[in-house]
Amino acid sequence: MLKELWRRLLYPFRRGRFDRELEAEMRFHIETRADELEASGLRRHAALAQARREFGSAVRAREDTRSAWQIRWLEDLFSDLRYAFRALRRNPGFAAAAIFSLALGIGANTTIFSLTMEFLFSEPSCRNPETLASMQIGGNSHAYMPHYRFLRDAHIFDGLAGSNEESESNWRFGNDTYDLHVMRVTDNFFHVVGVPVAMGRPIQPGERDVVVLSDRFWKARLAADPKVVGKALIIDGRPYTVSGVLPHNHRTVLGFGLSPDLYVPASRESDIVALIARLPEGMSLQGAYARLVSASKQLDKVYPPDWGPRSSWANNVEVVPVAGLERLKSLNMIPFTAFFGMLLIVVGLVLLIACANVSSLLLARASARRQELAIRLAIGAGRGRIVRQLLAESLLLALLGMAAGFLLNLWLTGVMNRVQLPLPVPVQLLIQPDWRLLVYSMAVAGVSALVAGLMPALKATRGGVSAVLKLTERQVGGRWTLRNALVVGQLAVSVVLLVTGFLFVRNMTKAMTMSPGFDADHTVWALMRLVPEKYTTVAQTRSVINNALNELRALPGAESASIARVVPLNGNSRSGLEIRTDLSDEPIHVQFHNNDVAPDYFQTMGIPILDGREFVPSDRKGAPEVAIINENMSRRLFGDRNPVGHTFRYSSPVVSAPVTIVGVAKNSKYFTLGEENELAVYTPYFQANLSVVNLHFLVRASRPQGVVKEIAQALGRLDSSAAIEVKPMRNALGFALLPSRVGGALLGSMGLLGLALAAIGLYGVLAYAVSRRIREIGLRMALGADGRAIMRMVLGQSLSLAGIGVAIGLGLAVFATRPLAMFLVPELSTTDPMTFLGVVAMLLGVALAATLGPAWRAVSVDPAIALRYQ
Amino acid sequence: MPETNIPELLPGTLYLLILRTLARGPLHGYAIARRIKDSSEEALEIEEGSLYPALNRMLVKGWLTDEWGISENNRKARFYKLTPEGRKQLERESRQFNRLVEAIQLVMRTA
Repeated sequence: MLKELWRRLLYPFRRGRFDRELEAEMRFHIETRADELEASGLRRHAALAQARREFGSAVRAREDTRSAWQIRWLEDLFSDLRYAFRALRRNPGFAAAAIFSLALGIGANTTIFSLTMEFLFSEPSCRNPETLASMQIGGNSHAYMPHYRFLRDAHIFDGLAGSNEESESNWRFGNDTYDLHVMRVTDNFFHVVGVPVAMGRPIQPGERDVVVLSDRFWKARLAADPKVVGKALIIDGRPYTVSGVLPHNHRTVLGFGLSPDLYVPASRESDIVALIARLPEGMSLQGAYARLVSASKQLDKVYPPDWGPRSSWANNVEVVPVAGLERLKSLNMIPFTAFFGMLLIVVGLVLLIACANVSSLLLARASARRQELAIRLAIGAGRGRIVRQLLAESLLLALLGMAAGFLLNLWLTGVMNRVQLPLPVPVQLLIQPDWRLLVYSMAVAGVSALVAGLMPALKATRGGVSAVLKLTERQVGGRWTLRNALVVGQLAVSVVLLVTGFLFVRNMTKAMTMSPGFDADHTVWALMRLVPEKYTTVAQTRSVINNALNELRALPGAESASIARVVPLNGNSRSGLEIRTDLSDEPIHVQFHNNDVAPDYFQTMGIPILDGREFVPSDRKGAPEVAIINENMSRRLFGDRNPVGHTFRYSSPVVSAPVTIVGVAKNSKYFTLGEENELAVYTPYFQANLSVVNLHFLVRASRPQGVVKEIAQALGRLDSSAAIEVKPMRNALGFALLPSRVGGALLGSMGLLGLALAAIGLYGVLAYAVSRRIREIGLRMALGADGRAIMRMVLGQSLSLAGIGVAIGLGLAVFATRPLAMFLVPELSTTDPMTFLGVVAMLLGVALAATLGPAWRAVSVDPAIALRYQ
Repeated sequence: MPETNIPELLPGTLYLLILRTLARGPLHGYAIARRIKDSSEEALEIEEGSLYPALNRMLVKGWLTDEWGISENNRKARFYKLTPEGRKQLERESRQFNRLVEAIQLVMRTA
C-alpha cells in the first residue's frame, strides 16, 4: 500500500520520460499491427492507417494511462500553485506586501512558540525521560542526605538519585576567587538519569572530589582547554579533579534554561537533594507513588519527622514526570505558564492582523481580477475549483511568508540564546529549530492561508457567472461592506493588542521609577561567600562579620554598614506562622516576610523607623528577644494601637518565648515589586543562630559607584578564599525588575508590530476605498459640490468606520485585559486611562492620515479627469 | 470490428486475463492482446484503449514490472513481467473467479 503511494508520488518527477515511453509503446503497437496487416496483403500506408483506426483515440488512451499514476488532488494543487506563482510574479508589489505581513505574523508566532517550548517544555538531557520521575516526600522539595540514602537503599526503583540545583561554590583561580553556580548531585546521578558527557566520563558512584564542567564554563573560563580532563580545580579550598565536560546542548533535568557551571558530588551530610527516580520497565506513576508512600512510612520509623506529633514523610508525597504540564504545576510555575499562554494569544492577534492585511489585499485584487474569473467560470470551471485555485494563491503566500518568518525566527531565537538575564542563577536558552517548530509553522501557515484567503475567494466567486460578469469594476467600488467589516475587525483586534502592549510598557516604566520602599540609589550590596569547610562554628563566622563591618564603616565615603540575611527583592523569606500577642489569647495566622538584620540596617537601607528604635549592638544572643515590625504587621496584630513595648509569641510549632517589639518600620517591598500589603518582621542578626556562608553586607554611601572597589578590596583582605561580589543596589534591582522588563520588551514590541501591521492595512484599505470613489467625487464636483463638503463627507465616513472599530476594540480590551492584572504592578490598573487614551489617539491618527491623502487627491483632481478615472 | 461476437468482459477480469497471460513469461503489450485473442479463439478482444491503462494500474500496484527489449519483429518494445506479488494476486483472483463461475453455473443448472 505504502509502496504504491510512493510510486505515485515519484511519478511527477519522471513525467517527461513516462510520456516518451508511452508514446514509443503505442507507436510500437500500431506498427506491429501494421506489420501483420501488411503480411496479409495490404500496402504499407494502408496497413498503418488501418492499424491506427483500430487503435482508436490515442489521446484518450494516453490520458487514461497517465491517470493510473496520478494523485488527482495533488496534481491539481501543484498546478494551482504554479499558476498562483505566475500570478504573484506579475504583481510583485502585492506579493511583497502580503508576504511581508505574513512573515512578521508567522515569524512572531513561531518565535514565541520556540521560546515557550524551550522554556517550559524542553526535554532534559538524559536517557529515556519517560521512565524518569521527580519525587517529593513530606511536602518538601528536597530531602536530607540520610533520608535520601534510606530510600535509595530500599531499592524500590531502578535507581534513585538526587540533585540540588541551588548551590554555590568558591573557585580559586590564580589570585582571584569566583562564586560559581554548582549542581550538587548524588554520586549515582549521572548513571541513574543517564546524562551524556561530551568529553571524559561522568561522576562515578563512590567518587567525592571530582567535577564535571559545563560547556559554557569550560569555554569561557578555561579557554576550552582540550586537556582539561584530569586537571584539578580548587573548589571551596579543596582540589577537585575534572572528570568530564558536558556537551554544549546540555539541559538540566530542572529545565527553564538553568545552566550551572559545574556538577559536583553532594558529599556533605548537610546537603539536601531533590529526588529523581528511574522507574522499572512498565511501572506507572501510580505504582511508583504507592511504593514511595510505603517506603516513606518505613522512613518515619528510622528518622521521625521533626515538625509535629502526627506528621509523616508519607504525607504530601508527590511523583511527577520530569517534563510536561504536571511538573510545571508541581513546581508552582503556573503563573509562568499563564504568561507564556498570554504571549501566544497576543502573537495570535498579531497574526490575525497580518491575515486581515492579506485578506484586504486579496479582496482588492479579486475585484481587479473579476474579468478573468468570470471568463473561467463561463467556460465551465466549477466554483469549488476556482475557490480552490484562489486558496492556492493564499497558501502560496502563506508558505512564502512562513519561509521568511522562519528566517526571522532563527534570528530572533539566536538573539534570545545570547541574552544574559540578570538572574541569581545562570540561565542559558538553547533554542534550536526542531520538528515541533516545523509542524507548528506549517499549521500556522495553513491556518493563515485559510483565514486570509477563504473569505475573499468565496466573495469573488459568489453568485455565479452572470453576477460576476454583470458587475463591472466600477460598480464594485460602491459596495465595500466586506472590506468595511475587515477594517472594523482589524481595528478592534489592534486596540486589544495595543492596549496590552501599552499596559506592559507603562508597567515597565512604572516599575523602574517606582520606589521599592528603601533607598536603592545610595546603597551598595556586597556579597561575601565563605568556604563552608573553613567556617564550621558560628563563632568563626561571627568574627569575620564583625571584622568586615568594622572595616566597612571605616572606609572613606561609607556612611554606615550593616548585614542582612536576605537582600530585599533578591530572595524569598516568606513564611506562614501562628502568632499570639500579649493583647489576646487568640492565635492569628499570618504570612509574613522575615529578615534577620544587624544594627544600622534601617539607616543604611534608608527605611524610616516610624516609631520606637532601630536595632542596637546590645540586641544580641542572650539579651531579651526583640523585633521590629512593619506598618502592615502592626495594623494586623495590634490594630490602631501603638505596638512598641508590646510582646508576641510564635505559637507553632512550639510556643516561643515572648518577643518584644521595639520599633515599627515603614512598609517596603520585600520579594517582588508587584506585591502589595505585605507583612514583615525583622529580628536581630546577632540574636539568631545563623550559620550561613553567604554574607550580604550593605553599605550606605552618597556615591555608591565610588566605593565598590574599596569594599571588594577590604573584604578580600579578610579572607582570600571567599568569593566577593560588590554592586550598587540600583544594579541589583535587575532581578526584581526582570519580569516587568521582559513583559514590557516582549509585549511592547508585539504591540508595536501589531500597530505597524494594522496601520499598513488600515492605510491600504481606506486609501483604496477612497480612490475607488474618485469617479463619484468627480461627478459630485462636476455637479457643483463644494470641495470642503466632500472632504468632510469622506473623512466622516472613514472616521466613523474607524470609530466603530475602535469602540468595539475598547469594549473587548476592557474584558480581555482583566486577567493581565496578575502581571502588573498594583499601582497600574488594567483600565489605565492613559493607556486607553493613547491607543485611541494613535489609531484614529492612523485612520485620519490614511484618509486625508487620497481624499485630498480626490477633491483636487479636475472633475473632467476624475470622471474618466478607471 | 465484429463487436457483436465478443461477450462483454466481466468487471475486473481484465487484470486476471493479463496476469494469466504473463504467467508463462514476459510479453509486450501487443503480444498480450494477441495472446488473449488467440487463446480465446478470437472471442475476447482487448481494446487498446483499456489495455494500456490497465497495464499501468498494475505497474502502480506492483504486480508487474516493465523492461525495454527487442521484439520478434526487431523493434524496441516494452515487456511486462509478473512480480512475485503479481503471482500471488493471480492465484487469489483465479480462485475467486473459479468460485464465482461455479456459483453462477450452480444457479444456472438448478434455478
